[in-house]
Amino acid sequence: MTTTENAPALAPTAPPAQARPPKLPRDIDPRNPNKRLEAFFDEGTVELISADDDSGMLAAVGCVDGVHTVAFCSDATIMGGAMGHEGCKVVVRAYERALADEVPIVGLWHSGGARLAEGVLSLHAVGLIFNIMTQASGKVPQISVVLGPAAGGAAYGPALTDVVILGPEGRIFVTGPDVVRSVTGEDVDMLRLGGPEPHGRRSGVVHVLADSEAQAIGEARRLVALLGDQGNLDESAIADVDLSEQMPESKKRAYDVHPFVATLLDEGSMLELHQRWAPNIVTALGRFGRRTVGVIANNPLRLGGCLDSPSAEKAARFVRMCDAYGVPLLVVVDVPGYLPGVGQEWDGVVRRGAKLLHAFSEAQVPRVTLVTRKAYGGAYIAMNARSLGATRVFAWPGAEVAVMGAVAAIRILHRRNIAAVAADLRPIVEAELAAEHERIAGGVDRAIEIGVVDEVVEPSRTRSALATALAAADKGARGHHGNIPL
Amino acid sequence: MAYEVHAELVANVLHVLVEAGDTVAEGDTLVLLESMKMEIPVPAEVSGTVAEVAVNEGDVVTEGDLIAQITET
Repeated sequence: MTTTENAPALAPTAPPAQARPPKLPRDIDPRNPNKRLEAFFDEGTVELISADDDSGMLAAVGCVDGVHTVAFCSDATIMGGAMGHEGCKVVVRAYERALADEVPIVGLWHSGGARLAEGVLSLHAVGLIFNIMTQASGKVPQISVVLGPAAGGAAYGPALTDVVILGPEGRIFVTGPDVVRSVTGEDVDMLRLGGPEPHGRRSGVVHVLADSEAQAIGEARRLVALLGDQGNLDESAIADVDLSEQMPESKKRAYDVHPFVATLLDEGSMLELHQRWAPNIVTALGRFGRRTVGVIANNPLRLGGCLDSPSAEKAARFVRMCDAYGVPLLVVVDVPGYLPGVGQEWDGVVRRGAKLLHAFSEAQVPRVTLVTRKAYGGAYIAMNARSLGATRVFAWPGAEVAVMGAVAAIRILHRRNIAAVAADLRPIVEAELAAEHERIAGGVDRAIEIGVVDEVVEPSRTRSALATALAAADKGARGHHGNIPL
Repeated sequence: MAYEVHAELVANVLHVLVEAGDTVAEGDTLVLLESMKMEIPVPAEVSGTVAEVAVNEGDVVTEGDLIAQITET
């Protein structure tokens, strides 16, 4: 495990701290776990389930918007929150409680890693946390809030959970700046190594970035409510709006899909995961007719909405999380294909793209697809096509479902014929061939005919059509699998 | 520190919408690319001043090419 700049107490020479730090400083210390747990739970509902001693961890049960929840919190007032075997036991028991009660569990992390003074004993204990987190995966929702450094073992704890929220002071890394500097010579601080920028945009380690500790805890509460109290779909609460107003008129024009998703969901209920990482696909939880749903939507504003390695991986993990907790899926498709390029192939787009095919194909939850503008090629299949077992597939009038765009297709199919035509006539010939090709191979009519699209729906009737499709599906269906951090 | 904006895919440069010295906010479109039958805007990922625009209209950019540099404010 590792040390961090903020955890000098981890140095091997430091004596094991037995005595409590003076009472008053701890009471006003913002890192006091009692205070953090009180901030997390509904007022007056906190009940400690571990001794308030020097183990370095504190656990409690309580309510979050009325949802019975288990939470534990690093005690960063002692040795920078370093994890010893007693503290790890607190976490393991908290997990046992959450599993027994079948309720969400939330970890508030602020820890430099394992207690060096305890040696392998602390490593073993940290490993036991990883083990029970994995046993609990897919059974009870697990949310991590990283409020300070989370290094070494404390980094992998959150990483094994379903959703990781990072506060402004949160820093996640396996080896701290000192070790990086001594081994590789790279001069890097904790912020650049494991702060909001690298984990929000580059690594995909963090799902939600928060501007303040209060906001981080607030987002965790929203997630607990969404996953812990999913509600029932109330079709009468679904008002139809013209969703095409969220789109540009030109089919070639890129647009930001966020307003579309926000309008599709109940007002103000959207909670996006991985907002900045792989932004060419949007994954969000929210309410739809008061029921919790997951939305996956291509975002044409970024990379034209193409699927690529990270976006397929991001969507696959989201699908599997929703499936494990019985959250139905709405899949909004406007995808020109997979991103071509050497970088993508070497980056494993085949292997990582396969995760999305696997995730959708195994998903038991109701999952309804809507093709708004286009669905081409392999990406058409990957976005919850009929063939992968979609509950129902809708398309807007004029949507294109095809192997590729008509012009690109006829240029391949009729390469020789087109080459034989005089250059000035080519655009006319191509247009004729493309129109013919669309009639026989593409277009939404053909997709309906062969049964890969069930129904053409007007943008102004889409919300109610999706609601009816979800309501008709098996409400209790969910997958029985863990949520490995893909 | 100058923030570098790179092309994320192979594309034609359709329009260049900013020039050096312009002030941009996060999310503003710097350049419009054309690829995959789509017009794809390249947004500023930070707010600041455009220090350099490295492409011209009509250029073909490939993945990783520098498009612009922004000095963060």
